[in-house]
Amino acid sequence: MNVQQVHATGFRNIGRLELDLPREGAIFLGPNGQGKTNLLEAIYYPVLFRSLRSARDTELIRHGESGFRVRLDLTDPTGPRSIEAGFLAAGRRKRVAVDGAEPARMNDALGVWLAVAFLPSDVALISGGASERRQFLDRALALSDPRYLRNLRHYRAAIEQRNAALRKGDAPSAAAFDPLVARYGAPVIAARLAWAERCGPAWRDVCATLGEPMAVSFAYRGRPELVDPDAWPAALADARGRDLATAATSVGPHRDDLTLSLGQVPLRVAGSTGQQRTAAIALKLVEWDTLAEASGSPPALLLDDVFAELDRDRQDRLAARLLHTPGCQVLVTAPRPDELPDALHLPVFDVIRGEVTRRTAPRAA
Amino acid sequence: MAAIEDLVGELSKLPGIGRKTAQRLTYHLLQQPRERMNRLARVLDTVAERVASCPECGNFCEGERCAICSDSRRDGSVLCVVEEASAVGQVERSTTYKGRYLVLGGRLSPLEGVGPEQLRIGLLRHRVGAGEVREVILATNPSLEGEATATFVHQLLAGMGVRVSRLARGLPVGGDLEYIDGVTLSHALEARQEVP
Ligand SMILES: [Zn+2]
Repeated sequence: MNVQQVHATGFRNIGRLELDLPREGAIFLGPNGQGKTNLLEAIYYPVLFRSLRSARDTELIRHGESGFRVRLDLTDPTGPRSIEAGFLAAGRRKRVAVDGAEPARMNDALGVWLAVAFLPSDVALISGGASERRQFLDRALALSDPRYLRNLRHYRAAIEQRNAALRKGDAPSAAAFDPLVARYGAPVIAARLAWAERCGPAWRDVCATLGEPMAVSFAYRGRPELVDPDAWPAALADARGRDLATAATSVGPHRDDLTLSLGQVPLRVAGSTGQQRTAAIALKLVEWDTLAEASGSPPALLLDDVFAELDRDRQDRLAARLLHTPGCQVLVTAPRPDELPDALHLPVFDVIRGEVTRRTAPRAA
Repeated sequence: MAAIEDLVGELSKLPGIGRKTAQRLTYHLLQQPRERMNRLARVLDTVAERVASCPECGNFCEGERCAICSDSRRDGSVLCVVEEASAVGQVERSTTYKGRYLVLGGRLSPLEGVGPEQLRIGLLRHRVGAGEVREVILATNPSLEGEATATFVHQLLAGMGVRVSRLARGLPVGGDLEYIDGVTLSHALEARQEVP
């Protein structure tokens, strides 16, 4: 699936944009602060209906405007489609439309438009805390399977209620939520474990393709026995004293992690900046594989300043990998053309003060 | 105008009524004959005056006990536990249930400050402890909080010598009893399952 046309108004520094995008992708060039990342953020918005950079919707509204709107005209194997999202500051109202019609629930619009985005800050997937990796897993799995999203939502709601009861020292009320925590937590762990098993080797292979010669591996860190709802009562009972003391639930997928290693050492401490960046990009490419497999259609790749901090060899390898991903629309940003590998032949656009124009001349400028 | 604003404000506090609907209702009322408005005010006043919670089941009642608790033909060995009084009417209208009720007055939701003390848990324990009840049917809503409430009541009744059953599954997920049609509710009641 790819974007044929982007319509955006009032989004960040984009006043009004009507942009035709080539099927194979595009390069967006421009000095920092001109709106390259904003453009990718607008294109990603209708994937999750929230900001790629975890900004609040009100922060996305262009200064002086009452709201923003993003519509993407999509080309899908099944025919033309469209996805649209709008937000009005007044009443904080969010509207979503799929093929011109408002779906019954916003969840029904998830999965219509799929893209994977990489921002320079995504190196936190490797160097940051466990919540970064849980968020990564949850997004990839929720976009692949609506049942995962449903289980995760119920699980989180049950945990919140349980923790609220723990904060009051009300053990019987906390215990009343235990069967729900188990019912919805077990399939979340099962899906994550299955993903880790399936994608561990894929991640290693992508890292190697991108020029990481050392053996990398990942393992799901949690309690695998909790894939069985019947294993939960004992686990929660064991933790009850501690949970009451800390007023928080200490077992379950919301505490798990994905351990990433280089050799025997955590990549977080052992990896160089280049290695960590490569590993983070590789995770995103595995996310791409996951979504492509689940949806049966290649998602778009949105890469913000991805080549910076990679050596020439890794740049060339990444470019080769991107160009050899069949059917994938690749949207890349860079401050200057000389920061891009020569092999990356894609149409070039300039981004200046929120305006995007296609270059007719070749990209060396 | 302050009087109009007051009415709009009060109406918009009602569930499912936004500010716009409240304004429409207010302007509609203002166009009615004065007698019509007085009647509405009197009815509201009477309801507030006369309707209370039944001390035996928590259902709404006029007088000392509700109509169901005062009806000697009802089967006192079966107790149907619901969240709100509105669910009693729903079960009554759409099923042939002939037992008695207990209205909890809400559902367990620690996040919203609703714990056991905010519900009629003491009354429930008292009713079951009195000895006549043989079976308790948990008819709380099939929502997360409704399920947790059912679990809580079940754990509370463990060891009190009553059979505990739950409405059969198949109710729409997240749906309230109020939105379930009679056929579904009747089936769910008949096919209720004992909670082990
Ligand atoms: Zn009564």
